[in-house]
Amino acid sequence: MFRYYLLLGLRSLRRNPALTALMVLTLAIGVAASVATLTILHVMSGNPIPHKSARLIVPLLDVAPLRGYVPGEKSPFANQSSYKDVLNYLRSAQGARRTALYEIGGSIEPARREDPVVDLDGLATTSDFFPMFELPFKYGQPWTAADDTREARVAVLSKAKSAALYGENVDPVGKRFRMWGSDFTVVGVIDKWNPVPRYTNLINGSGGYFNGENQVYVPFATAIAHEQRSNGSTNCSHDSGVGYKGFLASECIWITPWFELASASDRPALQAWLDAYAADQRRGGRLERNAPNRLFNVMEWMEFLEVVRADNKLAVWLSFGFLLLCIVNTMGLLLAKFSSRAAEVGVRRALGAGQGAIFRQFLTETGVIGLAGGLLGLVLAFLSLWLIRQQSRDLSAVAHMDWSMLAATFVIAVGAAIVAGLLPTWRACQVSPALQLKSQ
Amino acid sequence: MEIRPIVSTLLRQRTGPLLVALQVAISLAILANALFVVQERIAVSQRPSGVANEENVGYLIVRPLQPRSHPDTLAEQQRERAAIAAVPGVVSVAWTSQMPMSRSGSSSSVRLTPEQPKETATPAFYLGQPGFVATMGLKLVEGRDMSEGDVAELDPGTMGPGQGEPDVALVTRALAKVLYPDATTYLGKVFYFGAPGGKPTRIVGVVETLQSPSAGRLTGEYSVILPTRASYPFSRYVIRAEAGQIDRVVSEAREAVRKVAPTPVLTFTRKVSEDRNNRYRNERAMAWMLVTISVLLLLVTVSGIVGMTALRVAQRRKQIGVRRALGARWRDILRYFIVENIIITTGGIVAGLMLAVGLNRFLMAQLDMARLPLEYLAFGAAALWVLGIAAVYGPASRAANISPSIATRTA
Repeated sequence: MFRYYLLLGLRSLRRNPALTALMVLTLAIGVAASVATLTILHVMSGNPIPHKSARLIVPLLDVAPLRGYVPGEKSPFANQSSYKDVLNYLRSAQGARRTALYEIGGSIEPARREDPVVDLDGLATTSDFFPMFELPFKYGQPWTAADDTREARVAVLSKAKSAALYGENVDPVGKRFRMWGSDFTVVGVIDKWNPVPRYTNLINGSGGYFNGENQVYVPFATAIAHEQRSNGSTNCSHDSGVGYKGFLASECIWITPWFELASASDRPALQAWLDAYAADQRRGGRLERNAPNRLFNVMEWMEFLEVVRADNKLAVWLSFGFLLLCIVNTMGLLLAKFSSRAAEVGVRRALGAGQGAIFRQFLTETGVIGLAGGLLGLVLAFLSLWLIRQQSRDLSAVAHMDWSMLAATFVIAVGAAIVAGLLPTWRACQVSPALQLKSQ
Repeated sequence: MEIRPIVSTLLRQRTGPLLVALQVAISLAILANALFVVQERIAVSQRPSGVANEENVGYLIVRPLQPRSHPDTLAEQQRERAAIAAVPGVVSVAWTSQMPMSRSGSSSSVRLTPEQPKETATPAFYLGQPGFVATMGLKLVEGRDMSEGDVAELDPGTMGPGQGEPDVALVTRALAKVLYPDATTYLGKVFYFGAPGGKPTRIVGVVETLQSPSAGRLTGEYSVILPTRASYPFSRYVIRAEAGQIDRVVSEAREAVRKVAPTPVLTFTRKVSEDRNNRYRNERAMAWMLVTISVLLLLVTVSGIVGMTALRVAQRRKQIGVRRALGARWRDILRYFIVENIIITTGGIVAGLMLAVGLNRFLMAQLDMARLPLEYLAFGAAALWVLGIAAVYGPASRAANISPSIATRTA
């Protein structure tokens, strides 16, 4: 029976091509607008490491002075950690792994004066960073924990930077470059690794939440030994100390620490350890505010840093409002179409079709329109995402459709068509056969 | 013209007109809010940065590969500045620690008294020397420009807090107003800068505008200019060029600096117009997206009105024929449908006004949007009203063309 209804539906759609086209187009535009904005929101708020996000934890202490403290107030800059706390985190035996990172910048000094200087930016971090965030290696491997402790002059490059420096498809492991007045040896090259959002180092010097690539990684201790400050953001709530030594000893916050837990259920234990650590520090005269000591997993961390902007949510709300308008519009058009077929319904009812049969027939027809609208909507959504990608670098990183959004497109399209079709279909079922046959 | 028969017809066949009114209402609600956001984003992206004739201004960043000592850095700054000034087409050049809208820079808190627990504001701090105000093209509204005697010398490598800070500063008018809301003159006023317990800084001049590097919505107008000579690992020179020459001037300045540098340097150039473009890209993308949605919105609404009127005309062909046969003129039929549409649209607009305010309240609560001004409601209502009448004209005039002879035929 369904096939028969489908056939009837298709035939009826062909009978009035202009009206059908208008309905399909209206639905398609509504679907495209909502799918395009929803896709951006979906990617922005997407989980970059789903199987592990609950086990990767950022700790955060409030190191600012007591004066000016309003409990519960969120300071826009209090989102990193001080060097002394980070050292203690790294030395603690908490979690399965732990690391810390900050943004660095440097230049590769050319061997000959005439050669151009190559700019590099990336991360100072520890060897655990690579397994924790599952970075794929194209050549070589991470440096070792021993390299961390002995401040080794080693570096891991990104695939793009390695290609730019040493040529495409050349294994540069063992090659050297000069930066910060020292010779660094390349130990590894990362294959393509661009999580969106860039959850490992959201607070960065360039590229923001969605763009950019860490071109180089060097050991944390090595960068400290070269007196490198953060290329990202540094916030000092007390004084910032004299010289680099003073800076390291200060309460300035400029580093992001991470813990990896063996299981998400270990979180209370880490919280307890952090509370005990904070209490201990407080006895030493630090952490005057006695503010809550906080832990964030990956998704909580992105929420805390407000990775999704209010604007993106606004666009989604407004485009779903637009979809609602398209549904109401289609509803009106369907009503017009179905009411002009009252005679046909009358004949079918008189020949024995029940109200349910009429209902199914018209709903099938509506579904066909929904499917057509969905298909066209998908095409339009791809087109609008392409247009949106041209707008800004941020948007070009996030305006990409994935399988779940593809499925959502069809659910939205067919759902919208069914919602639009319910009232007209119900109206069509109400046709009284006697009245229709009489007026013939 | 009788309104009563139109109303009673509308009351008898409610669904179609109701759907049209609903479309008008939804359209108005979204349109008013969307246009408000568009206008706000465009206004934000066009705020003055304080830099006069932005199109003629660019900057050059010079970073030596090998670290230089404090005196060496200051000496190099002089040489580099002289080299840039010698480039033909340069109007003036000045050293600066940061640039407005460049999205990278420093800020620090200011207080009215050293004991005040919470800072009054967190302005951006620009370091500069005489020539800074003129090169940037800032408008001095009170007091004087900085002089050579005001300039302090800062060595960030060895100096701690409170050291290397000048006694005087220039501030933006917005910052002065926040610091001293009731003052009539800001000259000679004192504020405390940096970490609590810092030393007093006296205002000697007020500039109209100088936006911060972030150019944020609320705090983007708060800036302090400190007469300071500092040795950072990189030097930044703001360059004002003669009209239309900025591209050539900046690239020649870069070459000139490379030539005088004793050790290899990394250079980087940018125009203020590029910074503005990059800073406001998201704002413009948002405005563009909402304008697209608004246009589509109107198209869909118009198609809804046209479709519904065409349907009502088709349903009433015979009735119209009878009216024509009984002496109704072309004009009368046209007027009937237009008045009918005005009733429907007006109903939709009334509902839409409430819906728009409701949507605005919802967005205010969810996404801290601002309150919707009445002009947007009025404008949206007027636009939809006019558009509604224009949309109905086509189908209505077709209805008016129905021949009276239709009445004599059976269906």
